[in-house]
Amino acid sequence: MDKLDRPPFAITKTRTRFLGLTLDECVQAFFGGNAFVAVVVLGLITFFIFREGSGFFNQNWANLELYRKAGLEFVDHLKQQEEDHTALIRYLFDLRVRTVKHYTDEEGMSLANANKRLMAFDDYSYDFGDAVEPLRGAVMDLGDWVSMVKTRALVTEDRLEEQRQLLAVGKVDEAAAIKIEEIDFGAELQPLLAFRPAYAEINAEFAAGLLRVLALPDPDLPTPELQARLAKFKVLVGGYIEEFPRIEKALLDWDYTKPVPFAKAVSSFAVGGRWLTASFWQDWYGVVPLFTGSLMVSMVALAIAVPLGVGAAIYVNQLAGEREQRFIKPCIEFISAIPSVVLGFFGIAVLGQAIRVLSQWEALSWVPGFPVAERLNALTAGVLLALIAVPTIFTLAEDALQNVPRAFKEASFALGATRLQTILRIIMPAALSGIISAVLLGFGRVIGETMVVLLCAGNRIAIPDFTTGFAAFTQPVHTMTGIIAQEMGEVVQGGIHYRSLFVVGMLLFVIALVINYLAQKIVQRYRISIG
Amino acid sequence: MDSPASSSSTAPGVAPAVPQSSRTETTPTLIDIQNVDFAYGDTKALHDITLQIPEKRVTAFIGPSGCGKSTLLRCLNRMNDLIDGAKVERGSIKIRDIDIYRPDVDVIELRKRVGMVFQKSNPFPKSIYENITYGLRLQGESNKARLDEVVERSLRGAALWDEVKDRLHTSGLGLSGGQQQRLCIARAIAVAPEIILMDEPCSALDPIATAKVEELIHELKEKFTIVIVTHNMQQAARCSDGTAFFYLGKLIEYAETQTIFMNPGNPQTEAYVSGRFG
Repeated sequence: MDKLDRPPFAITKTRTRFLGLTLDECVQAFFGGNAFVAVVVLGLITFFIFREGSGFFNQNWANLELYRKAGLEFVDHLKQQEEDHTALIRYLFDLRVRTVKHYTDEEGMSLANANKRLMAFDDYSYDFGDAVEPLRGAVMDLGDWVSMVKTRALVTEDRLEEQRQLLAVGKVDEAAAIKIEEIDFGAELQPLLAFRPAYAEINAEFAAGLLRVLALPDPDLPTPELQARLAKFKVLVGGYIEEFPRIEKALLDWDYTKPVPFAKAVSSFAVGGRWLTASFWQDWYGVVPLFTGSLMVSMVALAIAVPLGVGAAIYVNQLAGEREQRFIKPCIEFISAIPSVVLGFFGIAVLGQAIRVLSQWEALSWVPGFPVAERLNALTAGVLLALIAVPTIFTLAEDALQNVPRAFKEASFALGATRLQTILRIIMPAALSGIISAVLLGFGRVIGETMVVLLCAGNRIAIPDFTTGFAAFTQPVHTMTGIIAQEMGEVVQGGIHYRSLFVVGMLLFVIALVINYLAQKIVQRYRISIG
Repeated sequence: MDSPASSSSTAPGVAPAVPQSSRTETTPTLIDIQNVDFAYGDTKALHDITLQIPEKRVTAFIGPSGCGKSTLLRCLNRMNDLIDGAKVERGSIKIRDIDIYRPDVDVIELRKRVGMVFQKSNPFPKSIYENITYGLRLQGESNKARLDEVVERSLRGAALWDEVKDRLHTSGLGLSGGQQQRLCIARAIAVAPEIILMDEPCSALDPIATAKVEELIHELKEKFTIVIVTHNMQQAARCSDGTAFFYLGKLIEYAETQTIFMNPGNPQTEAYVSGRFG
């Protein structure tokens, strides 16, 4: 007989409790906790980046303020004038190189003879170069002066800061012992203001000097093409001289007391064309060269990776047999497992060299920018980054193609479509949004990639010369990711340079956020359209 | 609903009870299937199928799931080519006396002449207009007037014109299930095939939509030869002229529809059509 101490319909739970929770609740808490940690970490990262970066614009503002007050801005007008002159001298030098090349290559002259033939030209160049002397002297004197003013201002700031810190911990006596030199910018800048009348004279003398040179008989040049270049040089010089009154006016209008608007602190970052740090003259934090670099490298990468990745995805998904699929898919996916530093190493050792050798082939000389001057450039880095983007694009595009219902394909075949027609007219359009989001995520992957660009992009912080067209892609560039990796180790924590790197990081963060958001939006639309 | 199609005047008197059909020919044979064995890799799906499908008539394939009726249907326009390892191992399938499995047959041309409507309606994610013109555009037709004309004719042919004529340029996916299926039929007839294969065209439709499609089948047989696979025996009885019963990859019986349902020659057929198994 059955015992009757158990109720016949025993369905109540026997609960074992742990910390007052049932097993189910424990499991829930464990997994929920994991998910929560991920969200918290993301929040912390965001908060930290923005906190560290946020102070930058104020510091940059002060930086620009000092640039004006200490008179560096004033001297930079003159420096620019001098640099423009130097550029003209370079133009002459370039012309000389071409002429020598003509003499030696075309006319079979020895180098010594060619140089002899160019003596008149050299005299002309020297005269042109010497004309700048009065300006150069003034620039050096004034430059030294304002540099000193700036240094003193910085020292004063440091001392004030030190004093504040001492006072904050209550060391009043020590704080009082710090000598603070108040700087009266108005008085310090007197030499600059007094220079203005003299400048008008110097300018007049300089312009006259240049015109004298232009009036000299043209040095003898062998070909019409070279003569045309000389004529163009004269036009350039004419334009240069016409600028003089504008500079004079800029100096007259210059007022050190005029406050720098805050917008300038932002715009000098956002649209500033110079990234110049730890300079003894003036630091600039303009993100444009880095942004262009990142963008160019990514463009090269996508231009290669999109056809490769999407093409491979179409092949594997639509055309390949099962055995090919089993071979190709892991191969492509394995590329993403290669550490990027290894790829970068490969880029330096093999690819950079290969591109250089390739670019020296006569048959490829029509390619813009070939032969390449630098082994490491945007092209090298972009080609390598393409390798990194291919697996991302391939995998996601393949998913998108896989999600196209098989019924579409069958219907198309049943109507007498060839494979190619089916792929181009049915499969691709149906998977298009998925493919676009794959490309976007591939873009996100390459713009955030650091090691490869740091090793292979050449790391020259300058906006490439786009007047050369596509050849710009064979110039070395620096990137947003690369600059952070390179400079973060050597900056003073809390300093303006440190914060500027965080702002670059913020920019990358925002770009990644926007890309991912767009990709998700597009994929959502895609799901709806399939129904 | 119409009365069963078998009541039509073309119905022959006798129905043989043997698998090999020797039915009286009222219309010439269009599709001639001789001793076909078919296999998916190592799995044999069809055993020694022989049957003749006459022109301008509706022929139904019935049988329980997995009996090979869809496989045979897909052999007729070589849709099975898309499946790895699937092949006809023996026998021949001739359409108008041409063996469609001959190596020099252009599958693309074949499929233009043998259209297909699938079990689940599968309009492309394009507009109604583009769905119907797809087949013609593939053939290079781009004359707008001609395309417009075909769209109207096809939609009228599929009894869909009045319902969609005001929204030809909206997505085909916005139609109801029954409309989508009729759109697929319109798409199939737009390329003017000779034969239309229908693979359980009504299995996902409600009774009213089913009735419309069946009515349509009736009208279509004026112009096309129709082969329809169906699970629904009433449907086979209602709209087909001839019926073939398959079981386990074999053709058990093929005869006039009326014969199959009223006076089947094979006990298995009788068991199936009377609902005792399957």
